[in-house]
Amino acid sequence: MPAHQVGRQVGRSLPRIEAREKVTGRAEYTHPMRLAGMLHAKIFRSTVAHGRIRSIDTAAAANMPGVHRVVTSLDVRKVIAEPYYGPAFHDQPILAIDKVHYVGEPVAVVLAADPHVAEEAAALIVAEYEELPAVFDEVEAAENKILVHDELRPAGTFADLKHLKGRRGTNVALDFKLRRGDVDKAFGAAAHVFEHTFRTQKALHLALEPFASIADWKETGVTIYSASQGPSFVRTEIARLLGWPENRVRIKVPYLGGGFGGKLYIKLEALATALSMIVRRPVKVALTMEEQFYTITKHPSTFRIKTGVDASGRITARKCEVFWNGGAYADIGPRVTQKSGFTASGPYDIDNVWIDSYALYTNLPPAGALRGFGIPQLVWAYESHTDMIAQALRLDPVEFRRRNILREGRSHATGTVVQDVKLEAALERVAERLRWNQPLDRGRGTLRRGRGVAMAIKAVISPTTSVANVNVAADGSTILYCGTVDMGQGSDTAMTQIVGEVLDIPAESVKVVARDTDVTPYDMGTLGSRSLFHMGHAVRLAAEEARDKIKALARDVGEPDGSNIPISELFKKKYGMQAGNIIGTGIYKPDYVPPDPANGSTSNATPFWMCAAVGAEVEVDTETGRVRVGRLVNVVDCGRPLNPKIVETQISGGALMALGFTMFEKMHIDAGQVTNASLADYKIPCTLDVPPDMENEAVDAHQSNGPFGGKGVGETATFCVSPAIGNAIADACGVRLMELPLNPEAVLRALRANEKRELGEE
Amino acid sequence: MTPFELVEPTSLREAIALLDPDDSSVRPIAGGTALMLMMKAGVFRPSRLVSLRKLPDEHSRITLAAQGELTMGAMTPLSRVERSAEVARFAPVITRAMRRLSNVRVRNVATIGGNLAHGDPHMDLPPVLIALGAQVSIAGPQETRRIAVEDLFAGYFETVLQKNELISELRIPPQGKSRAAYIKVTTGSAEDWPALGVAVSIEREGSAFKSARVVISAATEKAMRLAAAEHALAGADIDDRALARAGEAAAAEVECISDVRGSAAYKRELVRVFVARALRQALDGNGAAH
Repeated sequence: MPAHQVGRQVGRSLPRIEAREKVTGRAEYTHPMRLAGMLHAKIFRSTVAHGRIRSIDTAAAANMPGVHRVVTSLDVRKVIAEPYYGPAFHDQPILAIDKVHYVGEPVAVVLAADPHVAEEAAALIVAEYEELPAVFDEVEAAENKILVHDELRPAGTFADLKHLKGRRGTNVALDFKLRRGDVDKAFGAAAHVFEHTFRTQKALHLALEPFASIADWKETGVTIYSASQGPSFVRTEIARLLGWPENRVRIKVPYLGGGFGGKLYIKLEALATALSMIVRRPVKVALTMEEQFYTITKHPSTFRIKTGVDASGRITARKCEVFWNGGAYADIGPRVTQKSGFTASGPYDIDNVWIDSYALYTNLPPAGALRGFGIPQLVWAYESHTDMIAQALRLDPVEFRRRNILREGRSHATGTVVQDVKLEAALERVAERLRWNQPLDRGRGTLRRGRGVAMAIKAVISPTTSVANVNVAADGSTILYCGTVDMGQGSDTAMTQIVGEVLDIPAESVKVVARDTDVTPYDMGTLGSRSLFHMGHAVRLAAEEARDKIKALARDVGEPDGSNIPISELFKKKYGMQAGNIIGTGIYKPDYVPPDPANGSTSNATPFWMCAAVGAEVEVDTETGRVRVGRLVNVVDCGRPLNPKIVETQISGGALMALGFTMFEKMHIDAGQVTNASLADYKIPCTLDVPPDMENEAVDAHQSNGPFGGKGVGETATFCVSPAIGNAIADACGVRLMELPLNPEAVLRALRANEKRELGEE
Repeated sequence: MTPFELVEPTSLREAIALLDPDDSSVRPIAGGTALMLMMKAGVFRPSRLVSLRKLPDEHSRITLAAQGELTMGAMTPLSRVERSAEVARFAPVITRAMRRLSNVRVRNVATIGGNLAHGDPHMDLPPVLIALGAQVSIAGPQETRRIAVEDLFAGYFETVLQKNELISELRIPPQGKSRAAYIKVTTGSAEDWPALGVAVSIEREGSAFKSARVVISAATEKAMRLAAAEHALAGADIDDRALARAGEAAAAEVECISDVRGSAAYKRELVRVFVARALRQALDGNGAAH
């Protein structure tokens, strides 16, 4: 192994181990996959936002040559009696039953050997609905005048949802609250009180590989090939639906063409399974790019925030009311509501905090996790609000933050004492890089320049578990079995580095087995920036156990301590030939204390905090409202970067994704119908949208309880981009936007409103 | 997408014969970059596609004719236009517009004839070609006629082409002392379709405008000249007030369409601002992309 630097595997910028396979087109993905005898499914979708299904006429479709079968919920219920799924609520039917709850909801399916025939036939299905009043806005939904579901059906998985079982007359799928101190008293005593309302839009993950699942059901068991971020969850949920033990359900996951939180929990797996049961052949459900708009989205939100400040510029109280627009099915929305909701008061040291966070059903496509798990929506509000307060009090925005920042060792609103948060360092690095102390060129004429900052923290979703196995073969080569899904974030590479570090072998010599629940052990899911920490620990423990077993083997065969004979020689000495193997297992579940349901308090809300600060410099064209982001400085605390190059690409990728959500991405919706559901009309950032000066930095840090000092970074750079740019726009031209996206028309309208010459509505 | 017939004629005459004047499910296909999107979306379901890709090379040539005209065969790929030295000398505004016209993958296969015949008001070239006074030759079963590009468009995705007619050639007259500019205005990603396109071509006489062509696209149902703006400029002294007046006149006369790229009211503001800015660019000879 002379070509490799042996040892010190952690901290290398090892190129991604699957890069060659991907760029040469050899990597396996679900969407193009085919099985022998497979049928293709095409989905017929609801055209109304809320309605009772009167009839579904499938005759013309069924009679079309080449059509194998047309399926509705009547057929599904013959094979799965209770075909409802979901991670938090069992509220989502495999195909619509009795009612439809959003435009685009799957109502029927055509199966054919030729996907074009299936598509053509699906267009011949006719459904009649008795339309019901629909509700689209999250604040309106909270009034419970129009009800999306008759009765709530919590899954029973989560203790804090049990009280909602069987509840009727409500759209609230979770009401999380946090109470600390006495906000009303503090507002009364405050020198200044500020109150604002911020909103965010509905936007899309838009993974470049659309959702795809293939199910191959047999009496003895079902194998599902799926583009899933959470194969273990899929196995558990499919087993529950079928009433089978988990060992009869096998989930295989190749590489993913992006996930971003969209490909979690059940998406198409239950439908594919039901279809395969009905026709007893393998069935593939692979969506088009356009159908992604009707599957899972980012949460729109409304956030009312109220803050009391004393005469010295210290924040004394904050009240937060957050409404999350979860769409027609809860998906993971209730967890977003709580697990992110509890940080709604921001990274500030505040004695009196009140948080109400509501998950709401509406008649829109469902919303779930999207790279940040709700945090970017919260930060947009609290960091815009922070600047508005600073401006009103004539305080420097950075100085105002310094005065109120949550420092290491202080307790967060939950009561958890924060540790290993390099938030101040991140803020100071942004200020340094922006040369905050020096005046900015303000531009001239119709071009006005400004700058802004924002900062944030996020807790990792807890409690969650990861398991890994490390297998050392008789020739000394090593295989890693872990369920973390590499969807482009580079987790496989990082995990090989951890194995390499522990076993003192080159990371690139470690093979990572493709995700397969028959082979790879349990993992809660690839989500919420948890993998490097949780799975990283599990992999470390597995490798350490293997290392200990190798040492034991050496002793067993009579090698002295510190012997450096090759591992293969140990096996040979033990078994007389190249035979046997050593398996190390690692299981990791961090400590956690659930919040008190009465007040949200907990002494241990999270095993680690992610911290970020962003600085933006913008130029606003005051005649057109166009905003050019000239500079974007992204600083994160991810502990020690185990792979600095991957960390940098995660920072830049996350920031650019957030830039799209900030500047222009928006699902336009008219009466529940998405009017721009295609890549022609829904654009994501391209190369030309990248700010000319984009700086990415991980602050010098070491997560004391992390694997080799590391922690997750997949989401961190998404948190602060929106408010940093919003604050920069306000600094540049004096207009404050309260709703995303910050597109040119919104900016111009705000500018004109300031000048008292409003633009017409149409 | 259901099966359809694909024919690949090797002459223009043969291609025209394979088209059907009464059947809208029979269509010619050149680069296919727009048509394939319509087929994918199910908006267009062909029974037959008449591919023009096997037509002789003469239909994809760029030629500087003796009379000083620049001609381009309708099958000339946009990337060839983009890289043509003749085009860059003759009408640099076209070369500059190409840099932000869709993306390199589209430009490599999309053709100049298809770009015009599609009738999509969001295309970048139609307003530029209208500003340059370009004409197209239209070949039909009986005869070939020639019309100005500005008369080609009948409405939103509508042209005056019969179903069995093909654009065969584009002709751009000598530009003399005229100077032109084009601004593509996007409101989303830089790669988005424009919310507004503005093309201008001006000729000056001393310190005044001799004549001006002002064309807009994308914000309206079709690419069109703005007569009031042109009128405001003709004979006017060249100064910022004249540009502002032209912008005002343009904004007053357009009927913009509201869509996901902006409201009509906002697009009217864009027209006001960018007509003036395009004129300024043409005057300054500053072709830098917006």
